Amino acid sequence: MTMDRETLKLKLKELLISGLRLQDTVPGGIADDQPIFVEGLGLDSIDALELVVLIEEHFGIAIPDEEVGKSAFASVNALAEYIGAEQARSLSE
Amino acid sequence: MASGEATRGAAAPVVVTGLGTVNALAHSVDDFAAALRAGTCAIAPVTGFDATGYRSRIAAEVRNLAPPDWLPSPLRRRASRSDLFALVAAAEALADSRLDVAAAPTRIGVVLGATTGGMMSAETCLRERIGGRPRRYRKSPLLATPMATSADVLAAVFGLAGPRLVLSTACSSSANALGVALDWIRLGRADAVVAGGTESMCRTIFAGFNALHALSPEPCRPFDRRRSGLSLGEGAAIVVIESRDHAARRAARVHATLLGYGMSADAHHLTAPHPEGTGAALAMRRALARAGVAPADIDYINAHGTGTPLNDGIEAAAIQHVFGDAARRLAVSSTKAALGHTLGAAGALEGLTTILALRDGFLPPTVNLEEPDPECHLDFVPRHSRPAALRYALSNSYGFGGNNTAVVFGRA
Repeated sequence: MTMDRETLKLKLKELLISGLRLQDTVPGGIADDQPIFVEGLGLDSIDALELVVLIEEHFGIAIPDEEVGKSAFASVNALAEYIGAEQARSLSE
Repeated sequence: MASGEATRGAAAPVVVTGLGTVNALAHSVDDFAAALRAGTCAIAPVTGFDATGYRSRIAAEVRNLAPPDWLPSPLRRRASRSDLFALVAAAEALADSRLDVAAAPTRIGVVLGATTGGMMSAETCLRERIGGRPRRYRKSPLLATPMATSADVLAAVFGLAGPRLVLSTACSSSANALGVALDWIRLGRADAVVAGGTESMCRTIFAGFNALHALSPEPCRPFDRRRSGLSLGEGAAIVVIESRDHAARRAARVHATLLGYGMSADAHHLTAPHPEGTGAALAMRRALARAGVAPADIDYINAHGTGTPLNDGIEAAAIQHVFGDAARRLAVSSTKAALGHTLGAAGALEGLTTILALRDGFLPPTVNLEEPDPECHLDFVPRHSRPAALRYALSNSYGFGGNNTAVVFGRA
């Protein structure tokens, strides 16, 4: 089931916070176009692995390799784009 | 003054230049020293998990410890509890030592004793996986399960690139770690070593000791006639050690000397000590010989003193065997009455207690000791600490299965 883009972005921010235990962060503190994996959120490569699993569990969407991951995880906008595109693709198959 | 003063541990005199701890009594060395002198007992009802239904429901837990601000976010979010203890204690010890790590990072080693490592993290993951909501559970804390991670995080956070080891010999783990650190300095494998131990409470160990009926339902009473078992505890202690020359060249403050250690094994039973304490006695004799210290020169023994019916009587007898008439002059106390039995961290925490006793000139008491066992004819420093000028002291740690280690320290 797809959701509208704004709801999806909010859900992704909540997922980042709860799934990666970012206790001092709130959704409003994560900008849509802010890099996820640079200093700002203090995430590392193990967080990236966890995020792959979380995306798969919550949205049924796979990140097939590191290249795809790099561009999909560039920001909340990029991730929402990727998920939206994958969901649309699977609906049309 | 005892003979051969100049040759004490003179193979290569090794000194302690940094101290750090977090435990159930205190989150710093100064507070720990004050709590030891005050005779405070930290054993209380367990709060870290639900202990309903257990025969004994008490332990000495580290309370109200917040992850420090300087901890990088990934560690703050997924380090195990025992990793956290090690990090906090090591930070204090390194700052205390004023060691310039960046000047020669490959010459600074890390050796820790541990038994359960991140078992609490694994238990939490498992509980989330098999029960309750959400069934999706965070898996990354599982990476902190192996006990090796405690030394890994120290190396990563503090830039320590020398030899690194985590060893596990049950209750003597971190006593052996101190011994290995001493060996590394003497062998020239490192110029300084960050050494100690860390242990966190976990359900598995708490349940296991309860199932063995080894835990006392009330705070343990080492060497007491009515002793009925041990109490568990948690925490970490870290010391920085280096050769006396290395410390002198950088004008480091010396807390105490680390003179030698001795090991032995009972080869007797999985959990019970050898009834004649021959292994325990041998470890003490070896430690004294390696340290170049005569029994008569020891003023204080920090006992293994778990408060179990078996250990305390056997340990007291072993002390009598080794010290003979000199035992009458000895003071012997168990810190486990105050801190609980901290398993992999015990050797380090009790070594730290011994160092503080030597440095600050006091005898830590055996708290909760109300009726000394008439079978054990030693001064166990019941309940109250006493000022005392101590020259040399020994710390005993006897691991399950008869893994005995004794460490000798001297006043700076």
